[in-house]
Amino acid sequence: MTNQQQPIIKLCEEELVARLRARDTSAMAVLYDMYSATLYGVVLQIVKIDETAEDVLQDAFVKIWNSFENYDTTKGRLFTWMINICRNQAIDAIRSKQHRVNNKTEDIAGNAHSGISSDEFKPDHIGVRDMVNDLNPEQKQVIDLMYFEGLTQSEIAEAYNIPLGTVKTRARSAVKVLSRFFKSRA
Amino acid sequence: MHNEEYIASGILELYAAGGLTPPEREEVEHRAATSPEIRLALDEACAVMESYASCYAISPRTELKDKIMQQIANPQKTEGTIISGEDIPVYTLPYPKEGNEGSAYKWMMAASIVFFLFSGWLSFHFYTKWQEAEQRLAGVIASEQLMAHNYRSTSFQLQQQETLLSILQNPDFKVIALHGVEAHPEAKMKVYWNAMQQQVYVDQGELPIPPAGKQYQLWALKDGKPIDAGMIDVSDGKAGLQQMKNISSTQTFAVTLEPAGGSKKPTLEKLTVLGNV
Repeated sequence: MTNQQQPIIKLCEEELVARLRARDTSAMAVLYDMYSATLYGVVLQIVKIDETAEDVLQDAFVKIWNSFENYDTTKGRLFTWMINICRNQAIDAIRSKQHRVNNKTEDIAGNAHSGISSDEFKPDHIGVRDMVNDLNPEQKQVIDLMYFEGLTQSEIAEAYNIPLGTVKTRARSAVKVLSRFFKSRA
Repeated sequence: MHNEEYIASGILELYAAGGLTPPEREEVEHRAATSPEIRLALDEACAVMESYASCYAISPRTELKDKIMQQIANPQKTEGTIISGEDIPVYTLPYPKEGNEGSAYKWMMAASIVFFLFSGWLSFHFYTKWQEAEQRLAGVIASEQLMAHNYRSTSFQLQQQETLLSILQNPDFKVIALHGVEAHPEAKMKVYWNAMQQQVYVDQGELPIPPAGKQYQLWALKDGKPIDAGMIDVSDGKAGLQQMKNISSTQTFAVTLEPAGGSKKPTLEKLTVLGNV
């Protein structure tokens, strides 16, 4: 990460956390403005339907607000805590929906977002295609299965018949590639 | 496991990418909370995934912020909103349906009430008509019976007159006038007798009204010997034309008052009228 960016975010984060701990609703508006687009993007990647994504994001923000005392700064970044809430909420939504409509877990695991992730969403501030070129398909598949499908490393190993060590390696190298990629762009 | 090894194992990246089970996550968080070195590496991995996530960033509709802020500002409504938010497909679909069904039932209810009232009115209307028709029919039947009765009495009278006329016109019939005895001077009667055909009729009888259980009986006296000639039908002290038992020969007709049903021998003390041929 860049050295200029991190302290500013950290400061903001600390202040935000303090205000949220004090039950300041205006801090919630700031939090929303700062993170809603990223959280919504991830949720939409997972659930794929606008209305469902909105419902999930709404429920997630309410949950963030109501259970804010559970956020422990010593355990990790605020965004990490929030994205975990959003992802859990979104994965619950698709799993319950899939369960209701048809049991196509394998089908979903099979197509693994390949169609939707790069072609349909084209954020203007970062060229996703550039990044995808740096990331090899196997690496991308592993982190997308984790991040957007909520599969654990052992679930991926089992479903795709890949040794667990390989899953770990691919995830780690994917994060390294992305880290290099973002550093080079900053 | 040393911190360097732990960092190098790739578990932090798995954590950042979301590939760990909840117990594994707790373990990582615990290690991060105790070691600044691990915490820094973890934050770095998480920041990378945050950047990766921001590649997909899309701003949600502006209305969503208002909805969320409203829900946070009014916690009372929170639960209800969550419930309705989650169950929109379940709740919104049935409601209009139920409404339609409800109004359909209302219409059916209204229609059936109208139909009920109408059929009630119709029943009353036809019942009244039926009653009127029954009354008129009863009137018609009564007048028909009266007519029939009149006809019967008229034809009976006609028959009587015809019989009387044929008697009077027949030269074979003798008319015998019976006169009241001393006890009943006002009593009288006529007997028409056809000796050839042995036919006997009585007519124009004016006899005292008989006491209860008594009847007048006609007798024919042949050589002083009484022969029963039948009971006389008397109403209101008058005896109309009526045929009696056949008598072949006689010199005198007499009427006595006898117990109802008649006697074998006349009670001479009760002799009322008497006449010779």
